[in-house]
Amino acid sequence: MIFPVLPAQQLGLVVAVLVGFAFGFVLERAGFGRAQKLAAQFYGTDMTVFKVMFGAIVTAMLGAVVAAGLGLADFRTVADHVTSSTLLGPMVVGGLMLGAGFIVSGYCPGTSFVAAASGKVDGLVTVLGVMAGQLLWAGLEWREPFKAFHVWGDRGNFYLWELLHLPSREGPVIVALAVTAAAVGCFLAVERLERALAARADAAARPTPAGRPGRLVFAGLAAAAVLGLVTLALPTGTQARLREPAQLSQLDLARRIFSEPWDVRVVDVRELAACAARRIPGSECVPLADLGKLRLADAAPGRDLVLVAAGDLQQAPREAAAYPGRLFLLQGGFRGWEAFALEPPVPPPAGAPAAEVELYRLRAGIQSAMTGMKAAPPPPPPSAVPAAPRKAGGGCSG
Amino acid sequence: MERNPDRFWNPYLAGVALGLVLLAAFLVMGMGLGASGGSLRMGVTAVSAVAPEVVSRTPPYLRAMQSEHAHWLVYEILGMLLGGLVAAYTSGRLRWEVLRGPRIGTGARLALALGGGVLMGVAARIARGCTSGQALSGGALLSVGAWVFMLSVFAGGYAVAWFARREWR
Repeated sequence: MIFPVLPAQQLGLVVAVLVGFAFGFVLERAGFGRAQKLAAQFYGTDMTVFKVMFGAIVTAMLGAVVAAGLGLADFRTVADHVTSSTLLGPMVVGGLMLGAGFIVSGYCPGTSFVAAASGKVDGLVTVLGVMAGQLLWAGLEWREPFKAFHVWGDRGNFYLWELLHLPSREGPVIVALAVTAAAVGCFLAVERLERALAARADAAARPTPAGRPGRLVFAGLAAAAVLGLVTLALPTGTQARLREPAQLSQLDLARRIFSEPWDVRVVDVRELAACAARRIPGSECVPLADLGKLRLADAAPGRDLVLVAAGDLQQAPREAAAYPGRLFLLQGGFRGWEAFALEPPVPPPAGAPAAEVELYRLRAGIQSAMTGMKAAPPPPPPSAVPAAPRKAGGGCSG
Repeated sequence: MERNPDRFWNPYLAGVALGLVLLAAFLVMGMGLGASGGSLRMGVTAVSAVAPEVVSRTPPYLRAMQSEHAHWLVYEILGMLLGGLVAAYTSGRLRWEVLRGPRIGTGARLALALGGGVLMGVAARIARGCTSGQALSGGALLSVGAWVFMLSVFAGGYAVAWFARREWR
């Protein structure tokens, strides 16, 4: 998995300006800085809003599906990063209100910025209105009678393929295929509608016919949807990596527990009593028989999963192999971990090579940190932390 | 390139271009495009200049001030303004004017723009995003809530369009 890249803050802000520039440029050139053109969407004479919006949704969706199919990104991880929770009540009410505000103001919040930038006073006034409305509701939403409404029907991150009970790997592709087919069908219908209502269109909002570029786009979208379907057959998807889970060395696990505990999920599959008595800090006690209860096949794949057995695991249990993210087995199991992290290491003889001395220091640090802690970590003071290799640059960018 | 203010891009090509911008935001930043979240951050900044104690008393305002996401969105909006400006200038659409239908006066149009804006501001806060952040970004990643929101937006627009016809037709 390569994407999302998630660059450090300063670079992220440069990307923000570039992405925003392209966003604003395209919106303006599509005609979204002109209120009459946007409003004409709701009188059927110019369906540009619908065409551009669904064209963009289908393009980005297929891009994400193909990237996921090629193993460059995980669809669910990207979606969890980007989308908000699904809150059915607020989304229906907010949607109806926003639609009403759209036809009254002639803009949506995004296009009002573009209109303001091109000198449209009504756009600027809308921008100020949106700001006032945001402030108004943000000031009220957390108070009593509104509090309950604010979280009405909260389903968490919830996706169409889950609504339809489709499997997590094939689901996005199947839904994307259906959305693409529906969109292209709607585009063709909309072209007919515009031709039928052409006489009623006003001069400021006259639709651009699909023409040859439009037909090329339809063909391209259909081809991308089929490509997404084809990638399901590729072995490069997330699934392929799971058939042979990688071994994780004790040193690598220790490093990850110290430096990025939020990126690993350690599951201890030994007997409950043994695990309760002594375990790797931050790990969950889930005996092998209960592993199915974690529903790993449906879990979000953002974190790497590390399984810890008593000794070496020959192969991943079936329930864990279905995990859509990366899966590791701890080398040597818990016995190996005890010998590595909980026993004091033997000091190297005088004159030992530098690498050996360095390894001893590291292990001594790990041992003192692991045995000095009664409960799961707060990370130990810096002197005891084994020096994990750091990228150049300090502060927040590390 | 000739400057014809009434010529726009082919809507389907514009859709693909917008989709590629959106995809870049997904894959690089792990974020969608947005307009309303940045508005709140700017609004809160303005409030804190006038009355800082109001901001410190209101948890959602504090969160908007501290959120890195909102900070990103403000920069994205700056880029958006710049992009809109350049596109409008190069196409001959850059000029001070009030856009309105043939049967409505300037004052009434501006009042409606303000009222509609406030309504959308409240709505976008309720729905956790507007047409860009929720419908476009969430819709492309198949979020159920985003699709529910998008259908509601179109439903709301068509329901009110008849009553607003004097503004546009």
